[in-house]
Amino acid sequence: MVAASTRPRGTDMTRELVRIARGWLLGSVVAGGVSAVLLVCQFVLLAHVVDNVAFHAQAPHTQGRAFILILICLAGQVGARFASDMMGTRAGLRVASHVRGQLLAHLFAAGPVACADVAAGDIVTTFTEGAAALVPYFARYLPSAAMMVVLPLLILAVVAGVDGWSFLVLACTGPLVPVFMVFVGYGAQAIMDRRWRQLSLLGGSFLDALRGLKTLRLLGRAQGSLERITQLADAHRRTTLSVMKVAFLTSAALEFFSSLSIALVAVVFGTRLLAGTADFRSAFLVLLLAPEYFMPLRTFSASYHARQNAQAACRAWIRFWVLPTLARSYSGQPMQGVIGGVQCRALCVCRPDGMSVLHDVTCDFAANRLTVLTGASGAGKTTLLHALLGFIPVSVGTLEASNVSGHPIQLDGVRMAWVPQRPVMVFGTVADNLRLGAPDADEEQLRHAAAQADALGFIDALPNGFETHIGERGSRLSGGQVRRLALARALLRNPDVLVLDEPTAGLDAASALRVSNAICRCVPGRIVVVATHEQVMAARADVLLHVADGTVVVQPVRAESVA
Amino acid sequence: MAAAARWRLVWGVALACAASLASFGLLFLSGWLLAGAAVAGLAGQVSARAFNIILPSTGVRFFAMVRILARYMERVVAHDGALRLTGQLRAWVYERLIPLAPAGLVELQGGDMLGRFVSDTDKVAAYYTDVALPFARAALCGVVFVGVFACFLPLAALVLALGLLGGALVPCLSGAAMDRLVRRGAEKQSQIQAELAETLQNLGEYLLLDAACSRAKGWQTQQSAVDHARWMLDALEGAARGLVTILTFVTALAVLVLAAHAHQMGQLSVAEIPMLVLGVLAAFEVVTPLPLARQAAAEARLASMRLQMACAPHGAAEVVQPHALPHAPYDLVMRDVSFAYPKTVSPVLQHASLSIRQGEHVGLVGPSGVGKSSLINLLFGFYAPCGGSITFGGVDVRLLRAEDMAAFVAVVAQDFHLFAGTLRDNLLLGAPSATDADVAEVLEVAQLTRFVQSLPKGLQTWVGNDGLRLSGGQARRVAVAQALLRRTPWLVLDEPTEGLDAPLEQALMAALTWWAAGTTIVCMTHRTAVLPFMHRVVRVEDARFCPEGRAT
Repeated sequence: MVAASTRPRGTDMTRELVRIARGWLLGSVVAGGVSAVLLVCQFVLLAHVVDNVAFHAQAPHTQGRAFILILICLAGQVGARFASDMMGTRAGLRVASHVRGQLLAHLFAAGPVACADVAAGDIVTTFTEGAAALVPYFARYLPSAAMMVVLPLLILAVVAGVDGWSFLVLACTGPLVPVFMVFVGYGAQAIMDRRWRQLSLLGGSFLDALRGLKTLRLLGRAQGSLERITQLADAHRRTTLSVMKVAFLTSAALEFFSSLSIALVAVVFGTRLLAGTADFRSAFLVLLLAPEYFMPLRTFSASYHARQNAQAACRAWIRFWVLPTLARSYSGQPMQGVIGGVQCRALCVCRPDGMSVLHDVTCDFAANRLTVLTGASGAGKTTLLHALLGFIPVSVGTLEASNVSGHPIQLDGVRMAWVPQRPVMVFGTVADNLRLGAPDADEEQLRHAAAQADALGFIDALPNGFETHIGERGSRLSGGQVRRLALARALLRNPDVLVLDEPTAGLDAASALRVSNAICRCVPGRIVVVATHEQVMAARADVLLHVADGTVVVQPVRAESVA
Repeated sequence: MAAAARWRLVWGVALACAASLASFGLLFLSGWLLAGAAVAGLAGQVSARAFNIILPSTGVRFFAMVRILARYMERVVAHDGALRLTGQLRAWVYERLIPLAPAGLVELQGGDMLGRFVSDTDKVAAYYTDVALPFARAALCGVVFVGVFACFLPLAALVLALGLLGGALVPCLSGAAMDRLVRRGAEKQSQIQAELAETLQNLGEYLLLDAACSRAKGWQTQQSAVDHARWMLDALEGAARGLVTILTFVTALAVLVLAAHAHQMGQLSVAEIPMLVLGVLAAFEVVTPLPLARQAAAEARLASMRLQMACAPHGAAEVVQPHALPHAPYDLVMRDVSFAYPKTVSPVLQHASLSIRQGEHVGLVGPSGVGKSSLINLLFGFYAPCGGSITFGGVDVRLLRAEDMAAFVAVVAQDFHLFAGTLRDNLLLGAPSATDADVAEVLEVAQLTRFVQSLPKGLQTWVGNDGLRLSGGQARRVAVAQALLRRTPWLVLDEPTEGLDAPLEQALMAALTWWAAGTTIVCMTHRTAVLPFMHRVVRVEDARFCPEGRAT
């Protein structure tokens, strides 16, 4: 939780992530280096064999040893290359998995209220596709960046040992390539920047039209917009192409230098061979090595957009990492003693966007009492429940718990349970759903909790009892049954504080009565807080709190419910 | 447009072939030049002088230039063609999605799912540059390479042909496994996405049940299965690439042996031995990208499958032929209507009846989530009711197309969308022929005049995705103005005053009901301050419409 403030941002983040997969990355680079050395050996041997066969009139079968050596180098080179790629992929996958774990941990620590502010789809795509975008960066880009230094230097060294002139040609053209690429790259970037608005507008136009498709249909303009889509796509093509034409110059520069150096080597060597001042073996070797000299640069520039994607992904992560984390943890230490009550003193709560929802709330939630919160929707009932559960930070005031003898206790140790208006029902059996919060509960405990929540009757009436499948989101159960099942699940954890949001909303009178009876039965030994619109529930209250205009007023409890 | 794209695609392949052939020529000729020069040099002064180095070195320079130019032009032309394909594909997809919206798009609505949809479209269009082009180039150039070899040594040509064929077969053989891995990875991934979305929605409960972490652990296991598929895919591609490299050098060595024998038999000159060896290395350059291309094919295939699935007809209401048009008076009569959204349990409406006469101002109230908004969906036929009948202007809505309905009913939906463009573009979207005076009038009604005047660029201000960020209340009033501008006999407003403070709410409703006195207004809201402006109020309760009589 402390890490939230020290979390690195932007490009620093990728640097920190490198550390996680350092071993694999190092292995990848080393294997790549081995492969480069073997590749050069292989070419040296090949040049040797071709020279022997062509110019020293040696029959191929006398070259058996060289052939075998070439094959060994080949196998080694291919194997090392493969190992390098695979270790790179491992590094990438490892980083992605680490980042995913961190993101989930942070989101869980930020709590449901903060998460609700971010579109769930955003989180989901960042979790999956965003993490996947990091893989090519670590798997390809970083190793190829290292290889871009290793292989050309190695080839340069070999060429220097073979022939001075060719060394000069390669040593001069080699560094020019990155210079030109940067030069043209900046040019392309400048055009991109100038046309940024146009590019992003046109690039996003299809997405925009898809998002607004319902609006367009309601306006009766969907068919008309089809024409617009075509036009925009065409405009997008033209703008993109104008940028691409410049961007492609970078690869053209690469192509230019690599073609030029091959041609130069061939022509320069040709005249010298003719003059008898060079030998064929070195000429052939240099010709073999010249394309490989530029190869890593080409691989690197091909994986360049991996870096951009990774950085975009990192920017997306940061949006979630700035979400503040909650002070409370939910799998904490057991409580010290029996709960006596929770006191709110001059409580102020703001939404994540800074709007004040509750101010100056002072009230008590006492054990062995049914506390009912009423008030118009939007008045702040749910926010008060969220504050009680610790889902939203308290900006001013205090929220404290005490045991039966009135001594203050840690809120962290208080077991809380929550039954929202639409309780979550996982795909599986009744028992699976009950055990969601208590994986080790035995049959006896399940029956006991179900009986307390008035759910045992209907569960036993199901075809397979506790082992009956309840379908997608509990679709085989009625609304009232889902509520009672959720109540049983909450009771299975024997909570000190039980919070229910609109437990009887949308139920018919008979079901509502059963649910409210079950809730009343849970009151002994714990704090029970119910937020409701409905009279059925409010009539059973021991303490009635009315939420209005962001503050709480204690209301007299009706005489008949006290009786 | 289609013909232009087709020509560009053909040209792209032709230029790609030209670049590869030039590359082959460059190395082939360079090898010959070096060996020939060496032979001549060794043979002494006379033969060295007789050796014409000008012609081959001109050839080398020529091939080098052609390679540079052809590759650059190939990139430009091929990407132009691919972008044209993208445009066509977008139009095709869009045309199919129109009748499906919004019912068929519900699954795509979440967050960036639409973004994935767009990238799927692009991926399918990239099939040309990433898959078709490399394979076509390999096939065409391979034939030429083998032909060139055959001119020198038929046996070497045969070996090269076998080698190239083997190199092309490797990715094809691993293709089925790649397809499987890509599909399996995507399936698992979407499963994780669905579970993650569900958990985030119920995060509070999962946290309190202490079940969030165990679920997260479950995803990590599933995710490692996805990662494993990804790893296997990379391994497969890497292995295929390695195999092609091995094949390259084995072929080169075999050609070397054959060439040496041919030289001994006097069929081949010395200079042609290194030339053929270099030729093999150059020829395999067209085969090397094939494993990656095959992997791209697997991904494009999955993307196209997803596109086709998204474009397949869903459960939207189908318009019965022939179409009809509603006629005055435009009364809405709903009789005994039952409705539930697909894949949900609780019905939104159950044997609900409602009739609204033309000219009435009706407030539709009830807590959020009871299905006030479903009225819009039913009216426009976005969803079909499970039972009962709905008539508008004397015509069953099943006979009306949404496009026809739009001429009679203007809607401000809760999830309205402002498009990237100027404020003016957005206002005129539904009424292209409206005059400036009309616009000024509706802005006044929507209480936007002051706001627009405060903008430096006025109505030319850019809004939408990366434009000016309007507040929720401002954006909603823009949508109201947009609806008013259309001057339809009906006006359906879903929470028109959300995000407004009380005085502004009063002013807006007063101006609106005065301006549109003769228009039927249906106002869905949970704000009681709106109701006094209505003629009568209908409460949505227990999936029924319950009249509350005249508003106070």
